[in-house]
Amino acid sequence: MNTTTGDLLGAIGGVPRPETDVVVDARDVNKYFGRLHVLKDVCVQVKRQETVVIIGPSGSGKTTFIRCVNHLEKIQSGRIFVNGHLIGYREAGGGAKLVEDKEKNIAAQRQEIGMVFQRFNLFPHMTALENIIEAPIHVRGMNRDEAVAIGRALLDRVGLAAKEKVFPNQLSGGQQQRIAIARALAMKPALMLFDEPTSALDPEMIGEVLEVMKELAREGMTMIVVSHEMGFAREVANRVVMMDDGVVVEEGAPEQVFSAPTQERTKAFLSKIL
Amino acid sequence: MTALRNRGIRPALLVGFLFLIALAVAGCSSGKQSFQFDGGKFVEDLNPTSPGVTGVIYLTVIISVIAQALGVLLGVLAALGKMARLWPLRLIANVYIWFFRGTPLLVQLAFFYFGFGAAHLWGWSDVTINGFFIPGAIQAAMVILGVNEGAYMAEIIRAGIMAVDPGQTEAAKSLGMTYRLTMTRIVLPQAARVIIPPLGNEFNNMLKTTSLISVLGVVETYNHYVILQGGDFRPFEAYAACALWFLLLTTIWGFIQSRIESRFSRGTSTLSSGQSGPQNPGFAARLMSLRAPIEQ
Repeated sequence: MNTTTGDLLGAIGGVPRPETDVVVDARDVNKYFGRLHVLKDVCVQVKRQETVVIIGPSGSGKTTFIRCVNHLEKIQSGRIFVNGHLIGYREAGGGAKLVEDKEKNIAAQRQEIGMVFQRFNLFPHMTALENIIEAPIHVRGMNRDEAVAIGRALLDRVGLAAKEKVFPNQLSGGQQQRIAIARALAMKPALMLFDEPTSALDPEMIGEVLEVMKELAREGMTMIVVSHEMGFAREVANRVVMMDDGVVVEEGAPEQVFSAPTQERTKAFLSKIL
Repeated sequence: MTALRNRGIRPALLVGFLFLIALAVAGCSSGKQSFQFDGGKFVEDLNPTSPGVTGVIYLTVIISVIAQALGVLLGVLAALGKMARLWPLRLIANVYIWFFRGTPLLVQLAFFYFGFGAAHLWGWSDVTINGFFIPGAIQAAMVILGVNEGAYMAEIIRAGIMAVDPGQTEAAKSLGMTYRLTMTRIVLPQAARVIIPPLGNEFNNMLKTTSLISVLGVVETYNHYVILQGGDFRPFEAYAACALWFLLLTTIWGFIQSRIESRFSRGTSTLSSGQSGPQNPGFAARLMSLRAPIEQ
């Protein structure tokens, strides 16, 4: 491991303080793709500085769930609160009905929620540094010098200071994903979502990305991670949530879920993957 | 591969050679038809210092640039309209594209200039802006060419936008960008890469299509030579000169286009930053070889 990580949050001026103790509060979330019922009364809570890892077979709805948390997907019923704010909707008719919020308000809510994608999704027409400073400058209205200083510090902390002027196409998957993490952090989010961040990586690059994520968790970032990396979950997660067929099957401390799962479906899933 | 490319210079020479032969044959085939190619007349027609020539070339270029710019602007709006969530916007965009792609440009020019004028729906009056006198016919020409072009650009721009990975939009949204920022900062710059090559072809077309506005009475390059040959009854010399002028314009544009294309390929090369790489051979290389242009 030649990456030196550490003090990631120092680069953005310390741990962003979520406004509430419960950063994510998802209540009875239901989501349909046409007739397909993909999330069934899902309830998940994530407390401040907690790392929650969501596991489960493919098609279980775990990715859909975290995409709902920053409203990349609409929900049909239920409520998702981040920092105490209802995400993506406002209540109408005395709280009985959900009406989709204005685009501008949704965009403002997303500023507080960082997201890292399976396929990195770096902007290919921008250099590594430009990727990182884009949103702070154009969304947050930060002045350029400040954004560049933060961007450079973040690149340094993810071990890519030398790649500042390089375009994403010329970087390895692991390097791209580390820059994607830096890009999300530059917005100083109160919450970070990771959607299978190592699934598209060659095996030898998984470690360098997990290392950055572990460091983030240690420094007290609040995180939800959808991942198949059981070693990571065991080591870093405060809680593991097992999903199957759109339902939260069980949740608990990693040692409990991995060593003594209470549900048959969890046992079946773990026996396949471990 | 290199051998092929080196041999590629021959077709270009061949074409030039054939052109000269055609002229020579035309000049020598005087026996039966009693046609004598008047070289002096041809050179005079072609000469940029001859009265009117420089002016009409400038006019062709200026009208083309303005009409194309208008076309790109309308094309972006129509493309976004076509992809809008609100159905009235989609309807407006679709009807616009349907009409202007479904009728001949020549008919549009005549209808919106003469037809609208006669019906008192819209008169094109001469204006003077900053000391520049712009006749009504030229305004009409630029607007109609631009509006027509917009309908074609809409499809090109829509295809360009759809070629951008949806993950880009999601990443932009997840960073808190609004629709407007997402489009202007992330999607359109990437779509530009896909749009630029066909846009270049569209402009090449535009330079030549301006000859149609002669029906509005605008004296641009083509009309200049129509009038010229009407005066001296030397259509061969006049239209040959006219063709060469258009060829020169489109050739110069070809060089500019390949410059622009390599600039917009920023970030696409996996070799080293700032270089266009071997996938963009440049205009000269393309002219000299028979290889298919990359944009098709």
